[in-house]
Amino acid sequence: MSNIEIGAWSFPILLLLIFIRIPIGLAMMVVGAGGTYVVFGSTMMTMGQLKHLVYGTFSNYSLTIVPLFLLMGQFATLSGMSKGLFKAAESWLGHLKGGVAMSAIGACAGFGAICGSSLATAATMGQTALPELRRYGYSGPLATGTLAAGGTLGILIPPSVILVIYAILTEQNIAKLFAAAFIPGILAAIGYMLVIAIYVRVVPGSGDALEPRPYVERFKALIAVWPVILIFLVVVGGIYAGIFTPTEAAAVGAAGTGLVALLAGGLNLKKVADSILTTANSTAMIFTIVLGAGMFNSFLALTQLPQTSAQWVTEQGFSPWFVLFCVLVLYLVFGCVMDSLSMVLLTVPIFFPIMTALDFGMGAEEFALWFGIIVLIVVEVGLITPPVGMNLFVINTMAPDIPISQTFRGTAPFVMADIVRVAILAMFPSITLALVWLIY
Amino acid sequence: MADGDQQGQDSGTDMYQTLNTGIGWLARVIALLGGAVLITLIVMTCLSITGRALIPLGLGPVPGDFELVEAGVAFSIFSFMPWCQYNRGHARVDLFQATFGLFVNRVIDLIADLIMFGASYLIAWRLYLGTMDKYSYHETTFILQFEIWMAYAASLLGAFTFVIVSGFCVLRSARAFLANPTELHT
Repeated sequence: MSNIEIGAWSFPILLLLIFIRIPIGLAMMVVGAGGTYVVFGSTMMTMGQLKHLVYGTFSNYSLTIVPLFLLMGQFATLSGMSKGLFKAAESWLGHLKGGVAMSAIGACAGFGAICGSSLATAATMGQTALPELRRYGYSGPLATGTLAAGGTLGILIPPSVILVIYAILTEQNIAKLFAAAFIPGILAAIGYMLVIAIYVRVVPGSGDALEPRPYVERFKALIAVWPVILIFLVVVGGIYAGIFTPTEAAAVGAAGTGLVALLAGGLNLKKVADSILTTANSTAMIFTIVLGAGMFNSFLALTQLPQTSAQWVTEQGFSPWFVLFCVLVLYLVFGCVMDSLSMVLLTVPIFFPIMTALDFGMGAEEFALWFGIIVLIVVEVGLITPPVGMNLFVINTMAPDIPISQTFRGTAPFVMADIVRVAILAMFPSITLALVWLIY
Repeated sequence: MADGDQQGQDSGTDMYQTLNTGIGWLARVIALLGGAVLITLIVMTCLSITGRALIPLGLGPVPGDFELVEAGVAFSIFSFMPWCQYNRGHARVDLFQATFGLFVNRVIDLIADLIMFGASYLIAWRLYLGTMDKYSYHETTFILQFEIWMAYAASLLGAFTFVIVSGFCVLRSARAFLANPTELHT
């Protein structure tokens, strides 16, 4: 068997292991180590590699940002800022038809600016906004659909853990990727609000308007969320002004949200311990996948499969846009069953060389940023599509009276909005790149 | 069932429960220790940035702050591994969980825990050898000039705990597998 064939065979084996519920990171380690053994005929390579690979991965300066952002998100959930954000959004949007749901989206976007995880955003905003939506008589599917979709803004609007991983895999500048994610993130929020506006008109009685609030009250509510704005400006502004590295920014953000949580009375020793344990769990999960992907990808590189397949695709003379279309459809399909981080770690090392070899009429860096954002959006769609959309389940456990099938139905229009947005961003790369051009 | 058997089983269950509590406590304490280091690093980084901003006033950044962050975060992540394993926190695809039935799922849990135990053992063993490598070369970091083996050795705490905890998880899933022989055919 040639090395290429070994590389090709590793995929069905890996997928089999993953689908019989072996932890994804562990499955990648096993196939990576096993494949390396098949190629080399000895375990020496893996054994030598392991002496420094694990410590090297865990101490990688760019990756140290991950636990810091996760802890920042945990503190943010305890800071009570979600309530303030929701209030502020509601005072501005509540008087529109479907306005309370739109406010939930606005608050999710605001929360996403200080939290880099979709699940944490969905869970926190769900706790805050779900009771309000029900109180104002919003229908079950609209309420749960809104919050599950709104949660994905957590990862789309920087900071974002997945973008950090993508940046490392493709050797891109994290700050530039965050800048590229910004406009698509805002578009996502606007798109979701449009969906709500249409939804409440098509389905009568699903959501109503509140009395408009006086402007004094609106500005008061807006001023009340100053900690969120300040933390976001310091973290993101600090990175762009070159005052600190993304890792330092994450540390500052964690300290800031921690301080706000402390002052809001949300932090005691037990809460801090809980935050640490949740962070510990997610961090270890992510780094197990990163480690497994590292071993699997170094095995793939040995077999030269990525280079060969990139060469093959270019030789076929496919239209670049056709290839992009196929890749995105593949992501959407796999997103239904796999978590987004594993998907990115597993596929980007293979797809990225293929895509860079094709000519999309832009520079290498511009392409990498644009492709990263599009991939981020399509893998996030997986969080709100059945059967294993994590956000759906997070929200559903908070609203046990709404059957999961209704939640699925409520999310469908938002998934449509995601797909339309991906198509627009794919057709007009300048939307994504505009802010990068402006800053750099 | 004879009385003696029943008693033997009960004391076995008690011992297992004690062990379960103990291992859970160990995983939690080590994770909290890693978290304490992480929070210390956050404070240190904030001080370092402040110091750097105030260079005109005669202050300065914490020397070697990047090196400390790297070594400290590595320690934290190694310390987080046992908790994630104990807590069954690893990402997996549960699409077919319902289709498989209880028996198949328990077999898979046992196999997954066995592989994880093997992986944790390999990681700890190779990290130990890596530590020895760094120790014999006396390799030091660039700015603080502390010897890198020390950072490796600190990480061994988490790595060794990971082996103990994943060893326990094999026992845990083996017990779950053996506990309900009547449900073997479901």
